[in-house]
Amino acid sequence: MGVEVTVDADLCIGSGDCIRLVPGAFRMDDDRGVSIVLDAASVEPGLLVLAARGCPTQAIRVTRDGEVLHASN
Amino acid sequence: MGELLTRFPATVVLDRYEEIREALFNPDLSRTFDSRSYAEGNIRDGVVSISHGQVHRARRRIENTQFRPDVLRLYERDLFPAVLDQLLDELIDAPSIDLFPVAELLSVVLAARRAGIDVDEHDLGQLRELVHYVDVFSQGSAILDARDPEAVRRLVVEAYGAFERDWVTPSRERREALLARRRNGNGGGEELPHDILTVLLEHRADPQLELGDEGRLVREVATYLQGGTHTSAQTLVNALDIMFAHPASSDLVRRCADDLLFSQRAVHETLRLRPTTPRIRRRAVADTTVAGRAIPRDGLVILDAMAGNRDPELFGPSPDEFDPDRAIDPSVARWGLSFGAGAHQCPGRSVGGGFPVPPDGAVGDEHVYGLVAVELQEVCRRGVGPDPAGTPERDTRTERFTRWAHYPVRFERWWQPG
Repeated sequence: MGVEVTVDADLCIGSGDCIRLVPGAFRMDDDRGVSIVLDAASVEPGLLVLAARGCPTQAIRVTRDGEVLHASN
Repeated sequence: MGELLTRFPATVVLDRYEEIREALFNPDLSRTFDSRSYAEGNIRDGVVSISHGQVHRARRRIENTQFRPDVLRLYERDLFPAVLDQLLDELIDAPSIDLFPVAELLSVVLAARRAGIDVDEHDLGQLRELVHYVDVFSQGSAILDARDPEAVRRLVVEAYGAFERDWVTPSRERREALLARRRNGNGGGEELPHDILTVLLEHRADPQLELGDEGRLVREVATYLQGGTHTSAQTLVNALDIMFAHPASSDLVRRCADDLLFSQRAVHETLRLRPTTPRIRRRAVADTTVAGRAIPRDGLVILDAMAGNRDPELFGPSPDEFDPDRAIDPSVARWGLSFGAGAHQCPGRSVGGGFPVPPDGAVGDEHVYGLVAVELQEVCRRGVGPDPAGTPERDTRTERFTRWAHYPVRFERWWQPG
């Protein structure tokens, strides 16, 4: 299963903080003004958790092999 | 009919960094204390900074587009330096000046652009008029800490009317004409401005934004004009006030003049020690729990950011000292909680404070230093120092002790690029 990352588009406010922190994992969907997952597999899980922890609306969920490393709101 | 909450079933004070942070991320804690309409007396009705839930997220999604890295770099690198240089040369017209109004004039130029207010940035009369509105709206934004809230309310209502007539309406009409031409496939070669008013007009029909009321549009633009000017100006003055009192004062000023990254860290350290809102308030919209403490619906939560920002576990054994070189874990912001956190974190934090500084200090071409760091560097390069003949005065209209009204300084043009 590996690392899985999701962004809840209803919660996301498009701050771009996750993109600044982990540009390889996220990118901005300019039409909707929300962040979307680009490539989480190539990124250190610790960095993904840091991005999730810093997400202003706690819209990012990170799991590894089914274990929740960071839950969204 | 809404109400202004002034009595609470419980009051909880949190003063530890992690507890405050948890509270700021709690979606059951709101910034809304006044649910009345504007007509009923709520001067901040509908503005993004006190809206909550879905409408807040929808508004932020639209407005955050104006804080993307490419827009920040455009402002910081292309637009601001020339204006800053010209204004400083014009405003520092005597060996001794009051820095606070100068800091406001510097900051209002870009705050107006970002908010979407068309101003001739070479016309000091126009800039001073906008600064007057910023002063009034700043009192409105801090109304919960005002010594005379009713007087503030009257002042702000009057100012909104004149601000709309003289500033928002002409700026709105120009943008509406541009948007109409673009919709008709005739852009006319003129690019749409990058600002809050433009994106709000562009998306205004979206019911989620709740912007049908003309007054809300005016108040939203006023919020960005005020926020972008006042905090930056206060932070610049606070940075110098702290540095002037420091034993290594002249060394700090020289390092800011020489090194923009150091100037940025000095700004972050200033924000940590002197948050613009030292005590943040929240209201529980439902029964909730923060840091193991139960908070009933309508309970008041006071977040002591001043104390939280001095947590020795996070900021080291001398958290009360001003030390821009202090080592901090990269998961903790150097400015502490001074830009807030969670859904309501300050949208302009990257404008004023720039991007986080990495622990090794290695920043690339993409880095944004923040406008206050740029301003601080420029005044340091002009040899700023305290004016022994003058006495700084705090703004006594508010309980927020981090706000200044006057700050006399002297300039000696000593700096030469190394």
